[in-house]
Amino acid sequence: MAAAGGGWAAVCEKFRTARTLSAVESRKDPETEPYRSKYSARALLQEVKQLLSAAEEGGEARLLAVRRAVLEYELGVNHTDTEELSAGEEHLQRCTQLLEPHRLSPDCVSLYIQAQNNLGILWSERDEIKTAQTYLESAEALYNQYMKEDGNPPLDPSEHFMSEEEKLTDQERSKRFEKAYTHTLYYLAQVYQHLEMIEKAAQYCHTTLKRQLEYCGYYPVEWALNAATLSQYYLSKQCFMESRHCLAAASVIFSQAGQVPSAEDNETEQDQQDLRQRKAEIARCWIKYCLNLLQSAQKLLEDNIGELDPDRQLELKAQRKKEEDEKEKGRKKAVLFGTSDICDSVLAMEEKVSSVYPLDFQEAREIFLVGQNYVQEAKEFFQVDGYVTDHIEIVQDHSALFKVLAFFEEDYERRCKMHKRRIDMLEPIYADLNPQYYLLISRQLQFELADTYYEMMDLKVAIGNRLEELDSHTIKKINSLAQLSIKYYELFLDSLRNPDKVFPEELEEDVLRPAMVAKFHIARLYGKLITSDSKKQLENMQTSLEYYTFLVDYCEKYPNAVCAVETELELSKEMVGLLPTRMERLRAKLCPFI
Amino acid sequence: ALPLMNLPSVEGDAIKVYVRVRPPSEGTVLTDGDQSLCLSVLSSNTIRLHSKPEPKIFTFDYVANMETTQESVFSSVAKNIVESCMNGYNGTIFAYFESASFVQHNMRRPSDSDNFTHSLRGVIPRSFEYLFFLIEREKEKAGSGKSFLCKCSFIEIYNEQIFDLLDSASAGLFLREHIKKGVFVDGAVEQVLSSAAEAYQVLTMGWRNRRVASTSMNRESSRSHAVFTITVESMEKNNEIVNIRSSLLNLVDLAGSERQKDTHTEGLSCLGQVITALVDVGNGKQRHICYRDSKLTFLLRDSLGGNAKTCIIANVHPGSRCFGETLSTLNFAQRAKLIKNKAVVNEDMQGNV
Repeated sequence: MAAAGGGWAAVCEKFRTARTLSAVESRKDPETEPYRSKYSARALLQEVKQLLSAAEEGGEARLLAVRRAVLEYELGVNHTDTEELSAGEEHLQRCTQLLEPHRLSPDCVSLYIQAQNNLGILWSERDEIKTAQTYLESAEALYNQYMKEDGNPPLDPSEHFMSEEEKLTDQERSKRFEKAYTHTLYYLAQVYQHLEMIEKAAQYCHTTLKRQLEYCGYYPVEWALNAATLSQYYLSKQCFMESRHCLAAASVIFSQAGQVPSAEDNETEQDQQDLRQRKAEIARCWIKYCLNLLQSAQKLLEDNIGELDPDRQLELKAQRKKEEDEKEKGRKKAVLFGTSDICDSVLAMEEKVSSVYPLDFQEAREIFLVGQNYVQEAKEFFQVDGYVTDHIEIVQDHSALFKVLAFFEEDYERRCKMHKRRIDMLEPIYADLNPQYYLLISRQLQFELADTYYEMMDLKVAIGNRLEELDSHTIKKINSLAQLSIKYYELFLDSLRNPDKVFPEELEEDVLRPAMVAKFHIARLYGKLITSDSKKQLENMQTSLEYYTFLVDYCEKYPNAVCAVETELELSKEMVGLLPTRMERLRAKLCPFI
Repeated sequence: ALPLMNLPSVEGDAIKVYVRVRPPSEGTVLTDGDQSLCLSVLSSNTIRLHSKPEPKIFTFDYVANMETTQESVFSSVAKNIVESCMNGYNGTIFAYFESASFVQHNMRRPSDSDNFTHSLRGVIPRSFEYLFFLIEREKEKAGSGKSFLCKCSFIEIYNEQIFDLLDSASAGLFLREHIKKGVFVDGAVEQVLSSAAEAYQVLTMGWRNRRVASTSMNRESSRSHAVFTITVESMEKNNEIVNIRSSLLNLVDLAGSERQKDTHTEGLSCLGQVITALVDVGNGKQRHICYRDSKLTFLLRDSLGGNAKTCIIANVHPGSRCFGETLSTLNFAQRAKLIKNKAVVNEDMQGNV
């Protein structure tokens, strides 16, 4: 071979220089010549290509083909980096053509996969996601086939231009090969996401995370945050086992991040602040986990008026017994994070909270308490002074945890106290909040406060109904809760008014349902107010009628609104029909002689 | 009932997007149909980008061609925002790519930087003039019963760090939220303004402190944004009732395109984004997303889908050499159009005796 000895060493040197130019030097290129180093690298690669052609005569055909493929690959990447996509495509295609016959052999498989990866990127940049998908999926298939048939650590593409003594260890080879494949999976995750194959995309994200952990290619904090975020995807799919696994792994890996000793000395205050924030973010993902698990259980257990259905409870308990064995099997099939040590820690972390639906108060309470602990942890960082929005969101979650726990509570008095706890956490925040900057949150709080008072009033009515006769204390309580509920619903409705205090003719889509529900609830609340004064009672009925009428009239004028408030509308129509007669009767009683 | 037609909120709260095709730099003559043009203006609200294989058509609220003057750009969109600001609304004007023309103008006339009557001056100085014009007019109308207080701050967001342009010695500042004051830059200097000329002076001075201008790292300049915020507070006394209105006017210079380079070569650094995108599809489910907005969107949270009136003025360069930048600017503007705003008046009654 002509390029043997010193000649070959020079070729390797040129190749190496080209790679350094491309990867390292190019970062320092000036704005006016952003691709200067890339162009120099390209020129060098062309030279190497020339030298190889000259050597072609005497050389071994296969060896030459593979070396040429490496150059085509490097040129392909170079052109795509410099935004010359069609030239890039040509080079990459030539690379895969040269390798086609040898793609399953250990000296080619890694290069072939990387060329396919780059073709995938190239086509995704052209917005031809389907084409990108075929390249990436074929890279994936090749990896699997190679691992099945051979499995030995294959050569890294750069080794084709190295002297014998420079060649990599098996360990390093394996690391680079696995990294290339991890990239394949990562790009596939993106492709599937773009094609809206969400489930597949999530699965590939999950696998990518798992591989990052196995091959140590990760930053603990970033990894933990990614895993915690993925847990939130599983929540939306009601996959609580997977969600908990992600969260447990996130917590375990995050705790490693704090233990890196060298980092401690150089850590600035900002870094520590960031670290504390990330920890709080993960805590917030745990809160959502507890909340979703409880709320989903509530959905399963409630009857048609939203109360716990004891038959359903028994049924689900029996069903759960049967399913326990199968769950165990499913557990083993799920993609688990980490190897031995990490995996053990993750499993230990998981044991601290259930991933199956709680079916009674005791079970619900355990999940609630875990959630509440994370609320405290999250609040330590997200304090109201400095993090208003985050802080309030956490408080809202805390309130929601109490709300769902109350569902499982059988005792009405205790249930009422739980709602009072919600009021106590929400009311002071609402009072301080400036709606000029926090309009949407302010509205949410108004609505939630109104709703909570409404619920408390209902509970007090239920408690009162058990008594022989309503005592004045209970009546006072019911009335004051109803008044407070009305107050917050009205505040919410007022927030919709325009600068001149006029209520909008037509409601915006996003506030349509809450506004209608507020009107409807106010109507009902006026109906519930207890008074011995018949005149007052008549007034209340009149107000109630006005609110019901609003709903009916509005839906007549804007038929689009009907589907948003079907049940409420039906009841309102009924009331609009009934109330005038009742009022007539009351009036007759008041002034029997007129 | 009050005549609803006169209320500013009736026109709808979606963000108004104005795309302006910048005139070519001095000395170059470009004609329509010229090979070196990458776009053409089809009508007063559509633009065609000559992309391959298919040309792309973009529709905006307004499209201004190369002949449109700065004055008409200002009166078509920004004027309305400044007026709303006087009525107690918060307002934000994004002037995408304005910096180039702004700086050019400055460099051309360095000697009299406080003279800003140049006809090429951009939307930002025009907004100052108009705001103070309205304030003066209001004062004359109301007499001694009404007073105004204007304060301003000027910050730069560079590389996700915040710098105070009114205090060149300041280190990175932090964004914080206050339960009464909303989002603010902790420790940013606030300067009282009494005239448009003063505002202009503060702007020019602050501009010189810009990180990007002072370093050779021009490459990163595309990630630098400047936010000039004016707080307008008016106090009106009517017998014993004091009516205080306050509003913010944010003038944002998005100095460059957000093109992301080298995302794939660096490998997996944006896995988080992919996962976040998955979580986003969570239709109404309770979930927490760990990745915060960028500093800019956090600071302007109110202006983007919040409690304010917002417009975006995107300047695009017609030359084919700018194709990439133009495309990403148009895409950005297109996305911005989808954001809806809810505006509510900021009124506070005090001293009800």
